[in-house]
Amino acid sequence: MAVNWAQVFFNSAITGSLYLIGAVGLTLTYGLSGFPNFAHAEFITLGAYIAYSVAAQFGLGPPLALVVAFLCTGIVGFLCYRGVFQVLAKRGATIIHLMVASIALGFVLRYSIGAAWGWEPLYFATVWPTSSLWSRHDIGSIAVTNLWLWLIFAAVALAVTMHFVLTKTKIGKAIRATSSNPELALASGINIQRVIWITWFLGAGLAAIAGVFRGADTRIWPMTGWDIILPMFAVAILGGIGNFYGAIAAAFIVGLAENFGVVALVALGLSSTYRIGIAFLILIITLIVKPQGLAILFRRG
Amino acid sequence: MLYVLDLIVFIGIFGILALSLNLEFGFAGLANFGKVAFFLIGAYTYALLSQIGVPFYLCLIAGAMVSAAFGLLISLPALRLRADYLAIAILTFGEILRLIVKSESWIAGGDWGISVSPAIAISGGSHRVDVLVNIGLVYFCLLICFVIAQLLANSPYGRVMRAVREDEMAAEALGKSRARYKAQVLMLGSAMAGIAGGLYAQYLQYVLPGMFMPMVTFTVWIMVLLGGPANNWGAVLGAVLVTLFDRGTNIAKDYLTLPIDPSNLQYILFGALIILVLLYRPQGLLKESPIKTKALESVKRERSVGKGKGS
Repeated sequence: MAVNWAQVFFNSAITGSLYLIGAVGLTLTYGLSGFPNFAHAEFITLGAYIAYSVAAQFGLGPPLALVVAFLCTGIVGFLCYRGVFQVLAKRGATIIHLMVASIALGFVLRYSIGAAWGWEPLYFATVWPTSSLWSRHDIGSIAVTNLWLWLIFAAVALAVTMHFVLTKTKIGKAIRATSSNPELALASGINIQRVIWITWFLGAGLAAIAGVFRGADTRIWPMTGWDIILPMFAVAILGGIGNFYGAIAAAFIVGLAENFGVVALVALGLSSTYRIGIAFLILIITLIVKPQGLAILFRRG
Repeated sequence: MLYVLDLIVFIGIFGILALSLNLEFGFAGLANFGKVAFFLIGAYTYALLSQIGVPFYLCLIAGAMVSAAFGLLISLPALRLRADYLAIAILTFGEILRLIVKSESWIAGGDWGISVSPAIAISGGSHRVDVLVNIGLVYFCLLICFVIAQLLANSPYGRVMRAVREDEMAAEALGKSRARYKAQVLMLGSAMAGIAGGLYAQYLQYVLPGMFMPMVTFTVWIMVLLGGPANNWGAVLGAVLVTLFDRGTNIAKDYLTLPIDPSNLQYILFGALIILVLLYRPQGLLKESPIKTKALESVKRERSVGKGKGS
């Protein structure tokens, strides 16, 4: 069987872009608040549904729907932190309690979504039937849709913007400072609380964007986020928790591994549903070999 | 009536699961987010062995042993991991395991599963007799697990487990290998979950991947958190309450007209319940009983005597 390697590379870039956008919030909130937020999966799902709804109700186009989804989910993310996790942390909850609470919150969100929109899958193609997103081109031997190009563009834009935010702006420096040493950040006059709030807002908003892209690429249903949360954990851990640059590299490594892994699986005659197992392998190997992940490569001095 | 009997069997099976998670999380502080994986291993081991005619008690024991072996296997990397890493790793392990039994239809029928013969089939017995026999079998296993858990909890071993939970460094400094304790607890907990899985498979008389969703793990977590971590009576109480609640909402579904689909509402309430318990009663309904030993008692007595003298 001839494998179109160029296409596999391109698909890896798409997968990596999606994981990057989705995992940024996960890794940053993980680093700042000190626990993995499993409800992040539901932020992804919620974003997709919000974009779908505003598109269906008010006829918004993809860019506006994306903005609305970003803002609304961001607010939900902030409220989740403020309403549940911050209160728990203040009462001295352990990391295990926080993780359980995040899973519980995920259930509340997921099944509320199920109650509001139903469990039948929805498709963006039905609300944006004439959009140019779906048009296919062939670049050389690679099949490309506009949606995928936008996805890659969004990931690159995110990487560049985040780089400038993290290195040049006050809030970005505050995020990095709080992530690496909260006490010292507090002593330097940084309002840690506000930094964490803003990060939760941003992270959930970005998750929503990933959700819209994922939903547009496949379908929207209450498990949209859960379907891709484990690879995102692999990205967050491989990249080093709380480390944005590590996450960029890790997202594309996981993307490459998944897409080349699928080729290998098919060649070995195994089911391609094991795709998610590849991320799991990366996760386990990272945890055993180097739990700090790629962060060790991105540490200065 | 049959409905109540069925409920009692479920309480028993989930009681075993809750006890096993209570050992791992309550006493040893291990965040096992993949309980369902060991439940699955027990169920599939039982199903596969009973198909080739192995007697039921051997199937159950084999399920426990295979499950314990996987517990040990998982604990090898897990020993070095922080609580959050361990949680993610075990959760993923469960998902992968479900994926494997789902995709590899040669193992046990893939998505459609396979049927399992009941452990003790009484010829000519009605369904009701079958359920009663199951109650006997399940509660016998529950009793054994409960006694083991209770003996462990009040032994020097149990005190070391709690010490590891409270302060790993301090326990290590006192010469207790936290790695070994964690591995042993994970093995024991997995063995119990394996037995519960075997009982579940033979009671329902089929196994299929859809029975082993991550939701099962979190149902058990609710039981332990609600009932009271590090209290074996609490774990059983939690199993009773949560199973009743689960069934109650299923019945309510038939009699009430709600604005929200009850099958969604049930999970929303489950989630809200955990959050409320964590917020307002993190010690659960039944508190962990303080450690009592002869030495501690005598120290206490001396202290109170000393105070009496001083005043």
